[in-house]
Amino acid sequence: MSKPTPWLRVLQLLALVAVAVGLAMALRAPVDAFQGEYSRIMHVHVPTSWLAFLAFGITALGSIVWRIRRHRRWDRLASASAELGVLFTAMSLATGSLWGGAVWGTYWDWADPRMATTALMFFVYLGYLALRRTTDDPETAASRSSLLGIIAVVQVPLVYFSVNLFRSLHQTQSIRPDGATMPTEMLVAMLANLAALTVLYVALLATRMWVMRREEAVALEPAAGTGVVPPRLEEVGDA
Amino acid sequence: MNFGRQVAEFCRRDLLTERRAGEVISIVTPFGAVALMSFPLAFGIDSALISRVGPAVFWVVVFLFTMQIALRHSAAERPHQRAVIALLGVDPFARLMGRTLAAAVLILVFMAVLFPAMILFYSPDLPEAWPLALVPGVLAGIGLAQVGTLAAEITAGLRTRTTLAPLIVAPLAVPLLIAGSQALESLASGGSILPWTVLVVATDLALAVIGAAIARPLEEASL
Repeated sequence: MSKPTPWLRVLQLLALVAVAVGLAMALRAPVDAFQGEYSRIMHVHVPTSWLAFLAFGITALGSIVWRIRRHRRWDRLASASAELGVLFTAMSLATGSLWGGAVWGTYWDWADPRMATTALMFFVYLGYLALRRTTDDPETAASRSSLLGIIAVVQVPLVYFSVNLFRSLHQTQSIRPDGATMPTEMLVAMLANLAALTVLYVALLATRMWVMRREEAVALEPAAGTGVVPPRLEEVGDA
Repeated sequence: MNFGRQVAEFCRRDLLTERRAGEVISIVTPFGAVALMSFPLAFGIDSALISRVGPAVFWVVVFLFTMQIALRHSAAERPHQRAVIALLGVDPFARLMGRTLAAAVLILVFMAVLFPAMILFYSPDLPEAWPLALVPGVLAGIGLAQVGTLAAEITAGLRTRTTLAPLIVAPLAVPLLIAGSQALESLASGGSILPWTVLVVATDLALAVIGAAIARPLEEASL
């Protein structure tokens, strides 16, 4: 069994350090006057939401390039990124729900289109991952899931702009092209967490793609007992 | 054979197969009616509540049973059938459209049978202008056929097709469910069906564009 390359080890270590620094900054950042300590949840909630969008965008990109180039590398990129996108969406939903329970007084509100559309996006990508697992043939899995990977990304702008398109409990974007609606210290801590979680995403993506490559290599190797042929009934009868 | 004839032939073939198999009419529709009946039994004897939720339950049943219609066994093509169709040079989008049209007809028949059943079981307080809600309702039925057929094609030939396709379809079809059910609610509160009609038309158009774009890769993937 080959070991991860040194640069992958360095990337994993860097991700751990970056996440630790990011969380420390989140704990040291000033809190919102109204929300109190609960506002610290936002330092994880907002970056995980953005990374979910990025991950699903990368899935669509990998799917498109796979359909053009037909190289396994792009399918591995699409698949690994979708897994991480689902993970980050789950984290975003969980942290958002916890924050909502404390600040809005409800863990889930159906009148909020951002929550509903995010949950739907989560389930569509669960379907994407389930579709990949229905066949052992990597080409078939890539061929079908690439189509869903391209279709499903349409939801990302819908989720992002849902707070602008519909009336909802959810506040609009805090960081906009014309400036941020939060103090600089809080903004710096949030951006530090975004950078840290992005490094974590890249490290996990590279690790997952490395594991997939190993799995494919192992699948091609002859398994123990492959050469053993069971006796056929006719042969047993002849003896 | 031109594009329109190809679409019509595929639609006719699927409807003829359904007429012989009777899967939607004799199995799925009665099962849908049983599902419609089971909700009041679960709610208990609160007739005011039952009357209020009737139209919404109707749409939930249509939404869930649409997948059964799109994934009906009689509409599943075997690999050699798909190979022959591809070798004949049939336009993949014509095939997809024909199959979608057939599914749409069957879904609309299913809705036409279940709607009176819902009125019978739930006695909803329908607004006077309720026929207007048929416009977004029919368009939502067509959209459900589109999304169901797309999911059926993506999962064609897979072991877990019948369980996997609904997982893909359900979240993508939610705008249709919302538009279909909210149109009636909107009329009841004196509002307009226009926003819901626009939503369902936009979804139908988006699904048609997606279908046109991926019909050929879908055919390649399922061979």
